[in-house]
Amino acid sequence: MFIARSEYDRGINTFSPEGRLFQVEYSLEAIKLGSTAIGVATGEGVILGVEKRVTSTLLETSSVEKIVEIDSHIGCAMSGLQADARSMVEHARVESQNHAFNYAEPLRVESCTQAICDLALRFGEGAEGEESIMSRPFGVALLIAGYDEDGPSLYHAEPSGTFYRYDAKAIGSGSEGAQAELQNEFHKSLTLAEAEVLVLKTLKQVMEEKLDSKNVQLASVTKAKGFKIYTDAEMEGVVGRLPTN
Amino acid sequence: MAALFSGAPPQGGPGYSFKQTPTMAPSGERQHGFYPYTDNGGSTLGISGADFTIMAGDTRSTSGYNINTRYAPKLFKIGGEGPDNKGARIVLSVVGFAADGDALKERLDTIVKMYKYQHGKPMSVSACAQRLSHVLYNKRFFPYYVHAILGGIDEDGKGALYSYDPVGSYEREQCRAAGAAASLIMPFLDNQVNFKNQYEPGSGTGHDLQAKVAQPLPRDTVESIVRDAFTSAVERHIEVGDGLQMMIITPNGVEETFTPLKRD
Amino acid sequence: MDSLVAQYSRPMHAEEGQTYEDQQELSQMTPELSLKFALPPVASSASWLRAMTDDYSNPNCPIKIAHGTTTLAFRFKGGIIVATDSRATAGNWIASQTVKKVIEINNCLLGTMAGGAADCQYWLAFLGMQCRLHELRHKRRISVAAASKILANLVYSYKGMGLSMGTMCAGVTPQEGPALYYIDSDGTRLAGNLFCVGSGQTFAYGVLDASYKYDLSDEEALELGRRSILAATHRDAYSGGFINLYHVKEDGWVKHGFSDTNPIFWKTKLEKGEFSNVTADLV
Repeated sequence: MFIARSEYDRGINTFSPEGRLFQVEYSLEAIKLGSTAIGVATGEGVILGVEKRVTSTLLETSSVEKIVEIDSHIGCAMSGLQADARSMVEHARVESQNHAFNYAEPLRVESCTQAICDLALRFGEGAEGEESIMSRPFGVALLIAGYDEDGPSLYHAEPSGTFYRYDAKAIGSGSEGAQAELQNEFHKSLTLAEAEVLVLKTLKQVMEEKLDSKNVQLASVTKAKGFKIYTDAEMEGVVGRLPTN
Repeated sequence: MAALFSGAPPQGGPGYSFKQTPTMAPSGERQHGFYPYTDNGGSTLGISGADFTIMAGDTRSTSGYNINTRYAPKLFKIGGEGPDNKGARIVLSVVGFAADGDALKERLDTIVKMYKYQHGKPMSVSACAQRLSHVLYNKRFFPYYVHAILGGIDEDGKGALYSYDPVGSYEREQCRAAGAAASLIMPFLDNQVNFKNQYEPGSGTGHDLQAKVAQPLPRDTVESIVRDAFTSAVERHIEVGDGLQMMIITPNGVEETFTPLKRD
Repeated sequence: MDSLVAQYSRPMHAEEGQTYEDQQELSQMTPELSLKFALPPVASSASWLRAMTDDYSNPNCPIKIAHGTTTLAFRFKGGIIVATDSRATAGNWIASQTVKKVIEINNCLLGTMAGGAADCQYWLAFLGMQCRLHELRHKRRISVAAASKILANLVYSYKGMGLSMGTMCAGVTPQEGPALYYIDSDGTRLAGNLFCVGSGQTFAYGVLDASYKYDLSDEEALELGRRSILAATHRDAYSGGFINLYHVKEDGWVKHGFSDTNPIFWKTKLEKGEFSNVTADLV
């Protein structure tokens, strides 16, 4: 088995006899090394939360950017190779602005996710008429949260280019435990404030470090305020509301 | 060139763009020109109301002084289902060079249909209006020779009407006439739709006169204004006549009517 | 040799219909951000375009692009006043009396429209997109200097192709204070305290220069902007319609109406005694 594998995981666009694309599957593994990111969609809006993995006391925590703005109504959290995420986010930003330029309306969250996933499979040699931009699949997964005319929504985009919509989703190294926790705790009538707590509580369970207001980051997307990254004061407020145990 | 678009009679047959004969310069060289446009005459008009928009156009197609056909529609449904555009909520009218108008219609129709597949919802008129502007502007250096008007129902259920210049500058308006008889129809619309130069009776004399405030007109009034505009234009413009095609866009769909006009 | 020629030349019919790129663009539906414009199949597209669209050099040109304007903007201690008329002309025909010549690039930057209406609308909307992308990438608002430079570099790259625009970019930013730039399609970019642009610019300058000073109050500044446009609509046949008035402050712009010139004219005449050349008697 191992030998067969090593023969078919060199060419990134080559199927194995079992019908698998090993490099794409490996890229999914890369995400499992990444820091945990969680998204929870409620009727009021979507909450995104990430752990920051502060590896040194000398590290300026504000420079660890794992939640970014795509447009005023869409934001995303990432897990995996951050450098790859930058080009995906840049693509999504341009796509979103381009849509607004051409249609005088905000881009839908699903269309934005689709645009990102269109990019995901443009690795390898590149088909005719479509320029290849990467030599390998992306090593990052994104949680895309947004608010459009259909209300709030949360999408998970993988390096394989597939995407699904979720009520609540965890990605990264702690995703298995976190997803099980979300499964138990999520219900449709969650408020935004409850979702903030749920995200942090779940992160707390899967994080190696002790959670404080510096090593996690929250963001929300709501109808009224659009995408907002929580300030230090707001973070402290939410961390203060966490049940102590 | 000038002969094609001004009042002078066309020389050397009907004014097809490719019929332009090379001219001789004083120094003896033959000069060839690139004249890709023909004016196919006709006129279009659109008026928006509280919950409807009416688009209208005559159906005559001319080149020079020749009438090519008495039924060449200038109104097109955009972005419906299938070849008949069933269920369309947007209407495009184009006047000027019919071939450019047709190309523009095809292009916009494709875009609107693709949009529905890609974004899973029908395109709003305001989005279509912006996109049409960019479609026109993308040929800024080789323009479509058309005056386009786009009509539909906006997201609040109100009638929406957008008018364009050939390279895509656009504006939302209450009413707009375009094409050969625009200069005959537009002043009439200013007065009848926007109540320009109408004053409230008995509101005073001299400088105290209060201007009448424009408000959305009921549908039957607008229909009769459209008919009057075209029957009058037919009387005084040679490129307008034969038939009046009207499309009435309401939240329930597009109704199409055809009324014969004078054929002389 | 013949086979070589055949390989690299295509029959005429192959050029018909939509090109591969056209189909790509249609199928992808949203065009990429590359600015591909269709060009006529002639050697000098610019002079061809001029022959087809320049109603000044050729009154019989087939395509008449909307033109004509008075726009002004000036800096003062309370921010920037931007004022325009609203008339668009195509030849002698008044194409519209209700053009919005102040273009809201975003909630703190304004642009004005003079010259080709489509050129200004399109490129200022494009500039708006670039400003927003700048904001997303750099996490702070773009300076007016940078925004105006984007536009100036852009129109310069199309120099000689036939773009026609004279625009002003006005905005107030924390780092610059009130900033005003004039950009035109020749590639000129100037910073300044006051500009008037368009066919009625001389008339507007006459009024504006006479009473302009930096220490105007907000009320005085708004009135000066309104009065300058009124003068231009009165003496320039290509200007008229409505007066569109904006005040740009640090926390964004405020709109001060889109008002009909006619009542303003009579009010100015009857209440202030100006325009005494015109009789007020209605015979």
